Amino acid sequence: MEATTATAPYVRRESVLRRAWNWLREHAINIFAGLAIAYLLIPIAVIILFSFNDPIGKYNFEWVGFTLDHWKTVFSISELNSALLTSLRLALFATIISTAIGTLMALALVRHSFFGRRTANFLIVVPMATPEIVMGASLLSFFLVLGTPSLGFTTLLIAHVMFCISFVVVVVRSRLIGFDRSLEEAAQDLGANPFQTFWRVTFPLILPGIVAAALLAFALSIDDFVVSNFNSGTTVTFPLYIFGAAQRGIPVEVNGVATILFFVTLIAMGFTVLQQRRAEKLAAVRPEQEGEDLMGTAPVPPAPGGAGG
Amino acid sequence: MSAWGRTPNGRVRGLRFLVIAGLALAASLAIAACGGGGIEGDSESSSDVETVQISGKPSGDLTISNWPLYIDKNTIPEFEKATGVSVKYIEDVNDNQEFFSKMQPLLAKGESGGRSIVVVTDWMAKKMYDLGYLQNLDKSAIPNVEKNLVESLRGRDFDPNNDFAVPWQSGMTGLVVRTDLAPDVKSICDLFDPKYKGKVEMLTEMRDTVPLVMKCQGVDLSQATEDDWMAAIDKIGEAADSGQIRRFTGNDYARDLTSGDAAAVIGWSGDAIQLQADNPDIQFVMPKEGCMLWSDNMVIPVGAPNPTAAEAWMNYVYDPKNQAQITDYNYYFSPVEGVKPIIERIDPPAAKSELIFPTEQFTAKCDNAPTLSGEEETKVTEAFNAVVNG
Amino acid sequence: MASRRRLTPYLLLFPGAAWLILFFVVPMYYMARLSLDSGTLETGFQFSWQWSNYGDALSLYQDPFLRAFEYAGAATVIALLIGYPLAYAIAFRGGKWKNLMLFAVIAPFFTTYLIRTIAWETILSDQSPVVSVLDSIGLAPGGHVLATAGAVIAGITYNFLPFMVLPIYASLERIDPRLIEAGKDLYASSRAAFLRVTLPLSAPGVIAGTLLTFIPAAGDYINAFFLGGTNNKMIGNVIQGLYLTNRDYPAAAALSFVLMAVIMVIVFVYIRFAGSESLMGEEGARA
Repeated sequence: MEATTATAPYVRRESVLRRAWNWLREHAINIFAGLAIAYLLIPIAVIILFSFNDPIGKYNFEWVGFTLDHWKTVFSISELNSALLTSLRLALFATIISTAIGTLMALALVRHSFFGRRTANFLIVVPMATPEIVMGASLLSFFLVLGTPSLGFTTLLIAHVMFCISFVVVVVRSRLIGFDRSLEEAAQDLGANPFQTFWRVTFPLILPGIVAAALLAFALSIDDFVVSNFNSGTTVTFPLYIFGAAQRGIPVEVNGVATILFFVTLIAMGFTVLQQRRAEKLAAVRPEQEGEDLMGTAPVPPAPGGAGG
Repeated sequence: MSAWGRTPNGRVRGLRFLVIAGLALAASLAIAACGGGGIEGDSESSSDVETVQISGKPSGDLTISNWPLYIDKNTIPEFEKATGVSVKYIEDVNDNQEFFSKMQPLLAKGESGGRSIVVVTDWMAKKMYDLGYLQNLDKSAIPNVEKNLVESLRGRDFDPNNDFAVPWQSGMTGLVVRTDLAPDVKSICDLFDPKYKGKVEMLTEMRDTVPLVMKCQGVDLSQATEDDWMAAIDKIGEAADSGQIRRFTGNDYARDLTSGDAAAVIGWSGDAIQLQADNPDIQFVMPKEGCMLWSDNMVIPVGAPNPTAAEAWMNYVYDPKNQAQITDYNYYFSPVEGVKPIIERIDPPAAKSELIFPTEQFTAKCDNAPTLSGEEETKVTEAFNAVVNG
Repeated sequence: MASRRRLTPYLLLFPGAAWLILFFVVPMYYMARLSLDSGTLETGFQFSWQWSNYGDALSLYQDPFLRAFEYAGAATVIALLIGYPLAYAIAFRGGKWKNLMLFAVIAPFFTTYLIRTIAWETILSDQSPVVSVLDSIGLAPGGHVLATAGAVIAGITYNFLPFMVLPIYASLERIDPRLIEAGKDLYASSRAAFLRVTLPLSAPGVIAGTLLTFIPAAGDYINAFFLGGTNNKMIGNVIQGLYLTNRDYPAAAALSFVLMAVIMVIVFVYIRFAGSESLMGEEGARA
């Protein structure tokens, strides 16, 4: 007993260091992740912050003072508004068309084995693997040599649908792969024809996947700059407006609009995730897993017999 | 199951893939074969230029394409009230070349995308006119122009009688300097001083940057040859490679000057005045070699839907009263005679500014951009682009 | 009945395939054609098998070309170094914060690409506190970060980081934890378990992530435009300038083709080397 008390202070000092070191090692990766996430979010914070700035001249990149003035006038720049509306319209149409087409493709690819399947798969992947500048440039070449249609909304729509299709297919396909066919079989056993089965069983169940794909397509279209820059002619979309404005001083209102877009998208996404969770619970597409997450991937369930052995 | 079905043999599957790919390619080529009608083939240039047809009083809609931040807030509403015309004012001219690229496919077909007036710089106006993309003006509908155009802008080389181009605003390209960071910069050649390495910027507008550097090299611009252009471009290229020049910019040099990222740039006189509001240390410095003079011009493109209203607009802004408002906002110099007394009343400090009302002395050494022939232009543009983007 | 079933996949596939062929494959042909044209916009373009367009453009612009691959490569490596641990942390240490962390990774996508790049201009401007800190550590030679290669690479890394993180996360998430447990049962240390079990199993994700980062990065020009200086332009800037400013379509088309060809070669070699059928959707094939 006496021996231990005599050595106690020495042991404690070492163990504090040791403990600190162990704590650091264990949490190093968490700390790193925290830093990385902060890094990801800093520019967003800056954008939102500067929407409250009160610059003297036309350049908004030094903090001068806090004001809500530009929020009051956030929709007052007519060029900004028309660019935004053009982008929204474009994104809406592009989303509808590409989601419809892409879903059909995904259905074909997952559920049927047919001659040419591999090529079709390849055809889907290649646009995703092409740099945007090549896609934009080749479409421009196409429209220029062909001479029609004139560069403008139509060509933009064509381009946007084109690059959205691949992404829609990939998202819907991954949803279809996890799909429990036995439900369809049950429906058919109960006398439903293929069309009814699709419409009343399959479709509602894959709807969350379709909605996710549509959201993705919408986001891609609204944010697209490179392909649009090449194929827009004189039409101005929101990103194109920003590019032009960047050369002469971006009005503070643009930050305001960007912030609004950010939060709207955030809410939409949160909403989708909630919907997805609810739909899954109702349909038992996958048995509910602990720790199932945004991406829809779930950890593998523990085997009934227990691990090991 | 067909023979093409589940074959475990990898080779045959690969073959199947190739066949389909081949078929797809063939299909594409077939579709592609029925192409043509676009930019390939000889471009027809129309030999006769139309004159605008004025009909009655101005009315309807007027779409104007102009450079950004080139007009005050009041002129358009007042014009609309005075004439009943509804104006759609688009600020989509960020760069002459870029704007021309976008408009060219339309103009070649005789359309203007709804625009009745576009505003482009001298040399671009000439180029568009030569290609047959512009209309001649009906001078009877723009008496104010004939009456009030300042002496120095009459009889210009490329359009001596103002047949197709009416100046909107004029300006100077020279040095815009942070006098607190670079007090000694007084000439274009100073921009190449290693003291300012990494703090110098030049314009992407070739016809501003290169002639100024040519002046620094002692070239007489009225006699400039292609070799002179190339020599200047080489010098600029060297400076770019060594990091002397930080960036090539459009208007965005203003950002760098204000933040101090740049100390001295080639820039425009009107911007300098506007920037002083943010930072009094930013000033326009007339280079020892002289500056470049340019004007942006209102032109009426082919296919303009409302030339009557367009000319009414031109006439309207050439009334000194209306012009004074515009000049007081832009701080570029006005092509309209009789503006100075009005500005003396409404904005006395501006009236004294040599940048807005330059004296003969001030602009003694200033030149217009030298013209380039078609072939020269291609070579020079390519070389400059390689420097800017390379 | 049987023939109708056989037809169904083709009917379903048709609209999409037609759109992609018409607006992706065919334009490639037209771009190829333009790249062999001669002439200018004013005089008219003529198809004339002008292979010299390729030679001329490449010799004039080899610097930005090489730079594009340099910067994209550097950015990909850095993104991997940042992204893998981040994905790992989310997958294995996330717990109830998982969704929030994933959201934070995706959040940059919700702001326009241009605006977030311009935000970096503000953050990295010479007078900003960030740059003063970096300068004192010695990471900012010349006292400024903007208008250097570093700024461009940093911008590319930032913009494409989510593309790296998400696929790696997805593949880490799929790993059966029992395998890792088994490794530990066999006396592997944490480190060994990671290196020999987790890492190899996450390979498909790593491959997908690096490709999804590298390919678009190589053709990018926004970052170089806003954050770079005179010596930092990438091939994307050149192509954009040639198409939209100079209107030298043949040279621009030639460069686009070469860019695409080089990327395809790199991708094929990489996939061959790494082996990946999951990319092409071979999994989930149903009869």
